[in-house]
Amino acid sequence: MFHQKKITSVIQQISLRVTPCQTPRNSVSEKNTAWLMLRLGGFFLFLLLVGCAEKKDSNAPKKMAIIISTLNNPWFVFLADNAAAKAKELGYETKIFDSQNNTALESDHFENALVSGYSAILFNPTDAEGSVVNVRKAKAAGVPVFCMDREINATDAATSQILSDSYSGCVELAKLFVQQTNKKGTYVELLGLVGDNNTWARSQGFHSVVDNYPSLKMVAQQSADFDRNKAMDVMESILQANPNIDAVFCGNDAMAMGAYQALAAAGKASKVKVFGFDGADDVVSAIKDGKIAATGMQFPKVMAQTAAIYADEYLKGKREFAQKLPVAVELVTKKNIEDYAAFGKKEQ
Amino acid sequence: MPPLEKKNNKMLPWLKYGIGGAVVLLLAYNSVYFRKLDEVKAEASGKFDAASFAKNFLEKQLSPKLETAPDIDELTTMLSTDKNKAFDTYSHATAIGNIRYFLVKGQGKIVKINENDLTIQTPKQQLTLAMEFIYGNALRDASGEFDITKFTKTADINNVSSELNKLIRASVVFPFRPKAKEGDMVQFAGAVALNKEHLNLAEIEVIPASLK
Repeated sequence: MFHQKKITSVIQQISLRVTPCQTPRNSVSEKNTAWLMLRLGGFFLFLLLVGCAEKKDSNAPKKMAIIISTLNNPWFVFLADNAAAKAKELGYETKIFDSQNNTALESDHFENALVSGYSAILFNPTDAEGSVVNVRKAKAAGVPVFCMDREINATDAATSQILSDSYSGCVELAKLFVQQTNKKGTYVELLGLVGDNNTWARSQGFHSVVDNYPSLKMVAQQSADFDRNKAMDVMESILQANPNIDAVFCGNDAMAMGAYQALAAAGKASKVKVFGFDGADDVVSAIKDGKIAATGMQFPKVMAQTAAIYADEYLKGKREFAQKLPVAVELVTKKNIEDYAAFGKKEQ
Repeated sequence: MPPLEKKNNKMLPWLKYGIGGAVVLLLAYNSVYFRKLDEVKAEASGKFDAASFAKNFLEKQLSPKLETAPDIDELTTMLSTDKNKAFDTYSHATAIGNIRYFLVKGQGKIVKINENDLTIQTPKQQLTLAMEFIYGNALRDASGEFDITKFTKTADINNVSSELNKLIRASVVFPFRPKAKEGDMVQFAGAVALNKEHLNLAEIEVIPASLK
């Protein structure tokens, strides 16, 4: 567009200069002809330069946009950085966009990415339902979208969705939960954001095991929005009504730490087993110290790298991808904690 | 007016109402019908029947593969000597990562009956046969026959494991468990989950798919 405007402008200038050449006087005519030749030469030189510039553009590296729900959480920063690093390693320019948990802002990022000529989008959705329209917009523009860590409520929009196997991870946690509680007692479940699919996948995986043991009774199930402070408040109020619980199952590690703090403040930390999910740094330490019983370790690096590799394969012509690709979650307890670091395994 | 015509005129409204009523009843009968809400919901959502899929998968895909599964003692020997070859040759998993599943078979003596499992002594090692915690994806994934690309919904993928485990609990474990005695010989086939990066061969647990 820019080049077209420039060319039009140059042609207009040449046209203006050509008009005086039609005057009858010879000396003037010769001067004008020379001037015209000079101008035409300049014009062709300009065209040559434009051509070269365009040729250079076609050789420039393709670009991948990395649109992340929020960069206020270290988990998502880690996800974004690893996606960008892998995409760069594969030869792509990258830019990370922070949606700040706002679907409207996320929508703007998609529009920017589409008009700026990004070839693929590595995407961590803000909202399973609200983000679908953005992915569809990209699909309509021929730009593939690869979801990381969080899914969208559509199976015909994203090229592939690479997600932690939260359900199966919580099945493993639940087996341990049943063993450690000797199949009986009372417990509390702290849920994450109720609008997030991961919240329910984790809860359903947990209950698919625990509900088979009728002597294990859930006395409270409340949302604490994946937030540590909120989990502490919720746990404090639950403890007032149910002071003798045996265990707490939390949908993420931040809530597990919040629940632990509330239990510690009530003097019950040593007799209540707390289970988390994520593999966050403070919970890895807390498991070592015997404060938290277990967590489900997720691997954001694997998800981010797989998304970048898939996008690269797509841009090179591959079209067959699993719509949902689970990434295994590993059970981490005091027994195997030395094998793990925050957000994954220790580097060997 | 002749008496017959009078009578016909009197009968005509009744005939009209009768026919009208019959039409209304016929329309009402054909307009309203009762079906189970679950069926309607399932139809509307195109719900996947995980129980049927699991039954079919067990009969047609998993069970035939059990016969060709490697012997557990041979597999663990191979895992000790050439881990990568053993994982490349025999393991499968739907999820990417380090947790991989093996289909295995073997035989051994029941040396201990525990609360949640049986301790089995095979010719080369001691392992456990799960009796209580038949959960997870081991049985679904170990054969390599489960094709995740045919599924678009995460819940369906998870429900296949759940239903398959239910079937195994009901048809394999429950009938076997009360009869098991220490000292009995048992022939087993099933699935084992192993972590490729942190391999632990000291605590092998077999999720049974067949017990004799």
